Amino acid sequence: MSLAPILRKIFFVDLLKGLSVTFQYQDPKEIYTEQYPLERPAIAGRYRGLPRLNVNPDTRETLCIACDLCALACPEHLIVVKSERNAATKRKEVIAWAIDVSRCMFCGLCEDACPTDCLELSQDYEFATYSRDFILSRERLEKGSEPTVYKK
Amino acid sequence: MLQSFLQYLDSNVTLTPGAAGNYLWATVYVVVVIVGVSLAVLSMNWIERKALAHMQVRLGPMRVGPHGLLQPFADAIKLLVKEDIMPDGADKLVFWLAPVVIVITAWTTFLVVPFGPAHAITDMNIGVLFMLGVSSLSVLGIVMAGWASNSSYPLMGSLRSSAQMISYEVAMGLAVISAILMTGLNDTGIYFHHAVASAFPGVGTLSMIGIVQAQAEQGTWFVFKFFPFGLMAFVIFAIAMVAETNRAPFDLPEAESELVAGFHTEYSGFRWSLFMLAEYSGMLAVSSIAVTLWLGGWLRPFATWHGPRITIPHYWQGGALDFASSLLPAVVLFLLALVCFVGVVRMPKIPVFRIQMLGLAAFGGLLGFIGLVLLAPPVRDRIQDIFWFTFKLAVFMYLYIWYRATFPRYRFDQLMKVGWKVLLPVALGVLIVTAIVGVLR
Repeated sequence: MSLAPILRKIFFVDLLKGLSVTFQYQDPKEIYTEQYPLERPAIAGRYRGLPRLNVNPDTRETLCIACDLCALACPEHLIVVKSERNAATKRKEVIAWAIDVSRCMFCGLCEDACPTDCLELSQDYEFATYSRDFILSRERLEKGSEPTVYKK
Repeated sequence: MLQSFLQYLDSNVTLTPGAAGNYLWATVYVVVVIVGVSLAVLSMNWIERKALAHMQVRLGPMRVGPHGLLQPFADAIKLLVKEDIMPDGADKLVFWLAPVVIVITAWTTFLVVPFGPAHAITDMNIGVLFMLGVSSLSVLGIVMAGWASNSSYPLMGSLRSSAQMISYEVAMGLAVISAILMTGLNDTGIYFHHAVASAFPGVGTLSMIGIVQAQAEQGTWFVFKFFPFGLMAFVIFAIAMVAETNRAPFDLPEAESELVAGFHTEYSGFRWSLFMLAEYSGMLAVSSIAVTLWLGGWLRPFATWHGPRITIPHYWQGGALDFASSLLPAVVLFLLALVCFVGVVRMPKIPVFRIQMLGLAAFGGLLGFIGLVLLAPPVRDRIQDIFWFTFKLAVFMYLYIWYRATFPRYRFDQLMKVGWKVLLPVALGVLIVTAIVGVLR
């Protein structure tokens, strides 16, 4: 047995090395913790969160053309689209749109199927609620969620 | 009695140890020490969580008060109002007695801790022996807790604890003996030359105050005496000390990844908090043995250097270095107050922070006021012993946290191997060599 490892043991070299590592980590710059309600994490652009129904920013009218493609694309059949022929314009108009988010797996197939950029999975990740009505209606989805802003 | 009380406040009179034997002062010191230790445990709780968190790249408590400063108080209130649960099959009496035994043993040790030449509850002539004896009684409390819980994990924990404490006490005792030997062995003269008319070579002392006085008179801390041997004894004690208090990396009795919480698994609420209190005050007690025996107790570093003589009318007459060190406690408190005020200024100006801001400002003001009081000559001269002793204790407390953040836990056979095959022979060797070196010189 050579001398070096014995000496290293006697003078606690490895232990001191470990101690120096933990000591250096005390620098407040190293801290990795995010104080969640105060600081919000940066969400990647490709993140698939709560669905949203986009509206035309100028006219505030929905972009949905009631084509039913999202309902067909959904592997879990969670989307229901109800439409009606408008007698005046002769166009199909959506009268009700709903999705059951409790069973949604956020696969994004509905988003891909939508031909008008109406349906989109947003970056919203805060959908804890105090009630169990997970079947979200068109009004709710057009408004988008309004996360509570914490000051403290 | 009142006479001696008033005499003590007079700055021209320096009393003998702790005004020892004076019942009034002993009572005052008992109260002060109990309150001080409890406060130290509370602040230690916060510091440990913060420092450990920072070492693990976390933040630690942040929400209760500024930087979680009020977290220990919130925890204490939570523990006090918790339901008092006693397991069904538990031995009621022993279960009730175990935390009491542990807390009593942890606190009794402070009876002989010398915070300064005039700051101790008593000056017992067998101080070190008393301290080691009482502090090792805590293993009784642990075994009682493990046995009375009528549960497997606590039993395993307490069995481990008894084995561990007994095996590390041997090395610890040998290290302590070599320090006690040093009180009597000296190059230049014998410590007891002053105390005893006929100076026997090799007559030392077991009194905690006497040990520090021996270091003062020999002009060296025992860590540096007989160079590597004092240091080796100190290192052995420092390792055994961590094992004695069941702290990481020797925290097998309460290994949370193996035994849930070890011997106090079945305890909750106030009883559990008594265990925590005992653990932290035990750490303080054992560290104060180490500080007293090797690190010169209340002596400041370089106590033999006085610096050039200066005179400030009605305030100071003596060495410049002595003057600087006597101002140090006040300066430290002023710095802490300054940190508080910087925190107040930097706090965001939002209504919800109003109360926190006022509280922090009040706390800073209190610290600054205490600092001002410490500048008064009679207080200044008496407080610096306590300051240096507390400072050294604080370093040890930080080391405990640092070890816990760094070292993984020992396996049980490794623990036994380190205790019996490494520490014990080395401690024995150090003791023998210390004796030989001391006599030959």
